[in-house]
Amino acid sequence: MSDPPPETAGMRSRFARHLDPVALGLTVTAAPHGARSIATLELPPAEFDWRDYAAMLLHVAAEIEHTLMVEYLFAAYSLGGPDVPASLAGKVREWQEIILGIAKEEMGHLVTVQNLLTAIGAPLNLDREDYPFGSPFYPFAFSLEPLTLGSLAAFVCAESPPSWSGDEADEIRDRAAEDEGADVIGVEVLYTKITELLGDPHRIPDTVFQAQTVPFQASWDEWGRGYAPGAEGPEAANVPGTPAPDLLILEIWSRDSAVAALKQVSEQGEGLEPSDAGERSHFERFIGIYRELATLDADALGRVTRRVASNPTTGEAIPGAAPGHAITHPEALWWGHLFNLRYRMLLTNLSHAFALAGPDAQSRRGRLIHRTFSEMYNLRSIAGMLVMLPLSESNPEQLNAGPPFQMPYTLELPRREHDRLLLQRDLLGAAAVLVSRLRPLTAERGERYLTALEQSDRLALEQIEVMLG
Amino acid sequence: MSEILELRILPPLAIGRLGASKRPVDNYEAVVEADRPLGYRRLEPAQTLEVDVATGRIARAFIPERLTFSEHGKVRPVAPFLELWALTSDGQLEPVTTALLEDNGLRPSDVRWRAHVANHKIFRRTGKPEDRIDADSGEFSTHDARALEGICANFVDDARLPLGHVQFIDPSEEFPEIRLRFTPAAGYVYGSTTKATDPLIHSVLYDSERGTWNGYKENASAIDPALTIPGQIYAGEQVGDFWVSKGYLDDECDGLVYAVLDVGDACLTAYARIGAGPPAYAPDSFPVRTVHDELEQALLGPDAEPDAVSIERAEEIVRRALETIRLMNTAVMNGNTIDGRTDVASTMVRQDANDTGRAFEPIMATSLVDMKALEALHQSLLVALRSGTAPWFADVLRRHDEIGDLTDKGRRKMPALMRNADGRGLALTRRQVDIVLKLAAGPISSEEQP
Repeated sequence: MSDPPPETAGMRSRFARHLDPVALGLTVTAAPHGARSIATLELPPAEFDWRDYAAMLLHVAAEIEHTLMVEYLFAAYSLGGPDVPASLAGKVREWQEIILGIAKEEMGHLVTVQNLLTAIGAPLNLDREDYPFGSPFYPFAFSLEPLTLGSLAAFVCAESPPSWSGDEADEIRDRAAEDEGADVIGVEVLYTKITELLGDPHRIPDTVFQAQTVPFQASWDEWGRGYAPGAEGPEAANVPGTPAPDLLILEIWSRDSAVAALKQVSEQGEGLEPSDAGERSHFERFIGIYRELATLDADALGRVTRRVASNPTTGEAIPGAAPGHAITHPEALWWGHLFNLRYRMLLTNLSHAFALAGPDAQSRRGRLIHRTFSEMYNLRSIAGMLVMLPLSESNPEQLNAGPPFQMPYTLELPRREHDRLLLQRDLLGAAAVLVSRLRPLTAERGERYLTALEQSDRLALEQIEVMLG
Repeated sequence: MSEILELRILPPLAIGRLGASKRPVDNYEAVVEADRPLGYRRLEPAQTLEVDVATGRIARAFIPERLTFSEHGKVRPVAPFLELWALTSDGQLEPVTTALLEDNGLRPSDVRWRAHVANHKIFRRTGKPEDRIDADSGEFSTHDARALEGICANFVDDARLPLGHVQFIDPSEEFPEIRLRFTPAAGYVYGSTTKATDPLIHSVLYDSERGTWNGYKENASAIDPALTIPGQIYAGEQVGDFWVSKGYLDDECDGLVYAVLDVGDACLTAYARIGAGPPAYAPDSFPVRTVHDELEQALLGPDAEPDAVSIERAEEIVRRALETIRLMNTAVMNGNTIDGRTDVASTMVRQDANDTGRAFEPIMATSLVDMKALEALHQSLLVALRSGTAPWFADVLRRHDEIGDLTDKGRRKMPALMRNADGRGLALTRRQVDIVLKLAAGPISSEEQP
């Protein structure tokens, strides 16, 4: 048995101090690639009761789903570009669509975790660290990387089931460890822990699960956008032959529904076999791409992505962070800021929608849900701009910028609905300033987009002003 | 000399719109403004030909300062021109003009026009030939307005249904082209005997002693395969299990326009289709699926060729979806409970429930169908497409073979809440879907896009 690595370095201390491996009962079997397990604790960790401890673990789960989603999106956006060999163009687009589909499903996981938090009466968590963080539960330190065999190996390991073994498993684990500087662990360790805890009536009594919170939870009907298997199984996504995502947005009203939701989320991530509906798990989909990518020679491998900088930021690299790249090219920098702002708007809308329930708030919630999706479209558009722009004007490495996905200073919502509208108005105002800064710098494509975005924001602002009276 | 070998009438299909005003509506273009790409289209006045009906001559060509769609309380009709074109010995398709006629030893008076239009709506329900309403101008070469008077065996004696008029435009030096203009009828509702005091009708035409239209009934639950679907699409009232006709008829019509010209020993002919529909009360909007889309698919096939695939085409589809939402009460169309009442209108929800026994269940989550919110969502699609990013919504478009999918997922596909001609969920044409599919399968963003 080896000592667990000090992975909590760089985390917010208020989180990290509760993730002490010894206190968690975490054990790691001998290297290489030691399997991790967590013993059932007889007493809750210091300063916790069981329900609150479950909430803390769900907060960690939310951060993991959030970070994986962002990392997958970044990897997907890095794919493509003018250097892709013509013979691989279709395949590269297919990989991109698969990874985007997985990222969408991670969003479903994130939302389902929020439902679990809501059901047990805990605060939501849409937050995550910037760079880097880790813990005994985090698969690997957060890092935004273009898709490579190494980063893909880390994705495979993060979604891998505990029983995955053999030569291929060893090879991929080795590659992931080399890429990440440490073993990559599967997220199943955490989900197993949470499932065990929520499934135990002695530690979490039935009364913890509050059915009356369902109106405050997200539903597939509202958030699913039709992403589910069809009557005849998985349907084609945007690329022929690529299955459309299956968004698991599960409502929680009891212990059974909580445990079932966690099981479904885990299976969608790490299943070894296709489901009854013919869906392949994230693990299966990632390893499928890995196998295809591994057949390419070095030259082709280097051409399936744009030369996107890893960990791009709109400011100086964060002290102690993973190696990052400051975006300094003027146009790319302001697109980066706009990206971060729209990312904040997305998360704020999502959080705000959770805060509204009941018939009186129905249309307001619906509007926020739509606006959340609108911001996803904006992120896709701006990411498309960023990966085509240089990182800097001198640009000695000839790197392109990329979507920075930097978190805002807070995601806390004001307590009063009126003040939440003021926040929305502020964010739209900030967007207008960024648009005005970008305008002189951008070319026709950017100008067309900004003109439309500006009008869209103006219309949104008009609606907010009406609501503010 | 260019010898006329064949004739064509262009456009081959022209749809007029009803209106009681003497002056047809002026020409316009519906354009998307560059600086307001999310707004509704702006109607831009375009060159208009003003016809002096008394002489049949074009009095002037002008661009109106502003557009009006009604005047003095009456709707201005849309009155399309039909132009005669010739395939000539030069291998050209060119307008037939006085000069071209002269080159071929002919005069405008040698052109013979004829229009045959009909309104078979009553006949379509009753199946009785005596209920056909037909109007035939007969051949003519003069420039007076030719009334299209619908004749029906079951009308009261000497009654005629005015279906508009056609007029051979007298060519001039300034406007030498050979044209016919179709001006639709006023847009009145007519009635049957025993309905003489009905304030809704313009006059009584149909003789209830001769025909069965007034009081004609269809059983709502017994669908006659010989009838068009959906059934009961006539003004009526529910009496027991039956939908009973009020005996109304309108002055819409469609039909054919013919042109005949003897060139040497050859008798050349051409024809075009005309029709008259109701006025457009939102002329700056277009439906998501139009006759144009149908014809394009019929002509070019369901697979879009590379030249037809562009983000602009995808944007046009989304824009029309936005314009369609604007004209809908989306909460009602979704089957939401309105003021405490359920099933308040004829919707796809009711259709699904009535046809299949499916429970009455709104299509989308009831919180998502606020019209303004849906408008904003579709506008955000337009915003994203303007960045040059490929569309990502191919997988939520309803395919032509999915119209009967009544699962939640199937009912929520796009376009949503609307009915196809066969009574099931509306789908875009296969060609429209193919355009989006091909774009979606391409690069998400590319340096090659503008």
